[in-house]
Amino acid sequence: MHIMEGFLPSPWWQIWFILSAPFVIMGFYALRRMVHENREALPLLAVAGAFVFVLSSLKLPSVTGSCSHPTGTGLGSVLFGPFITSVLALIVLVYQALFLAHGGFSTLGANLFSMGIAGPVVAYAIFVAGKKAGINEIVTIFFAAAFANIITYVVTSLQLALAFPAEVGGIMASFVAFGAIFAITQIPLAIIEGLVIALVFKYIVQLKPEILIKIGVITQERAERLREGWA
Amino acid sequence: MQSIDHHFLDDYACRNALRGIDTRIKLILGLGGILIAISADTPYAPLFIAIILSIVTVFIAQIPARLYLALLFIPASFALMSVVVILFVTGGGVPIVTIPLPWLTLTATDAAALHALLILSRAIGGTCGLLFIALTTPVIELFSILRSLRLPDEFIDLAMLLYRSIFVIIGEAVAIYNAQVMRNGYSSFRKGIIAISMLASSLFIRAWDRGEELMTAMDLRCYDGKFEILEPTTAPTIYQFFPVLLFLSIAGILAFLPLPFPPL
Repeated sequence: MHIMEGFLPSPWWQIWFILSAPFVIMGFYALRRMVHENREALPLLAVAGAFVFVLSSLKLPSVTGSCSHPTGTGLGSVLFGPFITSVLALIVLVYQALFLAHGGFSTLGANLFSMGIAGPVVAYAIFVAGKKAGINEIVTIFFAAAFANIITYVVTSLQLALAFPAEVGGIMASFVAFGAIFAITQIPLAIIEGLVIALVFKYIVQLKPEILIKIGVITQERAERLREGWA
Repeated sequence: MQSIDHHFLDDYACRNALRGIDTRIKLILGLGGILIAISADTPYAPLFIAIILSIVTVFIAQIPARLYLALLFIPASFALMSVVVILFVTGGGVPIVTIPLPWLTLTATDAAALHALLILSRAIGGTCGLLFIALTTPVIELFSILRSLRLPDEFIDLAMLLYRSIFVIIGEAVAIYNAQVMRNGYSSFRKGIIAISMLASSLFIRAWDRGEELMTAMDLRCYDGKFEILEPTTAPTIYQFFPVLLFLSIAGILAFLPLPFPPL
């Protein structure tokens, strides 16, 4: 859910830039640390970012028939953590604006906050909590990806409501109105994205669990347990 | 190719007639247009920016008009949904349209209509600015600008590698998708979900392998944590700078003049 170029008036587009900045700066530091510790990290992050970009230009089979595409940031957050994901999302959002005319420059801060920060933070929290509680990873990934998508759309509605409050009922009424109109396409989409990302995770565990073990998403034993469960 | 959008605007940017103009000039023109469009209090300046930048993009940069029009409609569904909400939730003035629904009555006033019109014109002006940059400035030329902004080297290298990787893996995505369509992979909703998950996971694994190969290749060429970029050798001339300055000044004056809106 990209807010289009020119849609957010002052001072809101500046405010979202300022709110996003600390996360991106934290992301720069996390990136530098990661690259210094492990030289292999950079090309792998690049292909993961490109994967998110390509994933977001795929159209999902959709119930409503609208043009719907996954955000893909939920998976990024589970793999690399929310700070690195915010840097990847920043690059991906700029490329989406330049290659596909999705989103824009003045709304980059707002889109980054909803898609690259709020969504991934929630996805990461869900994944970590699920891992601690010992819930099956596939189930946690479903919820992490679906909620990353839902939170992205809730934050987008909030951003629009703050910029355009209602005459009667103020920000809250406007939030409900924007939320209701986007929910038509976004709720089914979130469930589909959750399903697809969970299946993607399942296939990766089946075919090449080394990747996930290497970056510490799951342990060797868990991967074997998961594979035995399906056998 | 129906399902994967791989006609990137970057292809057109690499072939446009303004390719030789200094990147900074084009960025000042595009970003300046966007900034003025979103700060304007009346629709005149955004519409002026939209018209002039469209003319520049289609006639001077020689981007096909058909493509340009199609691109303008990409954000249309977002614009439509959001403008409808703004029309009915913001108020003031005299009601012009009332739609009674079973659970509530929707009312649009004349002030709300003007407000919605202003928001829409800003979005159109901004989109024309974005399309101008997207269609005239190849991404590779932006990297040296990023470096001069003193962003971290790791970040710029990541952006460059990511750019390259997109083109490598989008080709694989298209090939896998076509193979799946040939075998009725998307013939039902359920099959579609499974097919797209298989596509994404095998794409991820292949992309990862590519990343590891790329690392080996970079090591062989003594990668030390920073790609060198050739800096642009041409300097912006006054003949390029003057029209941009003139355009931005007229747009700025239009944006901040207390013109009456609505015009009557």
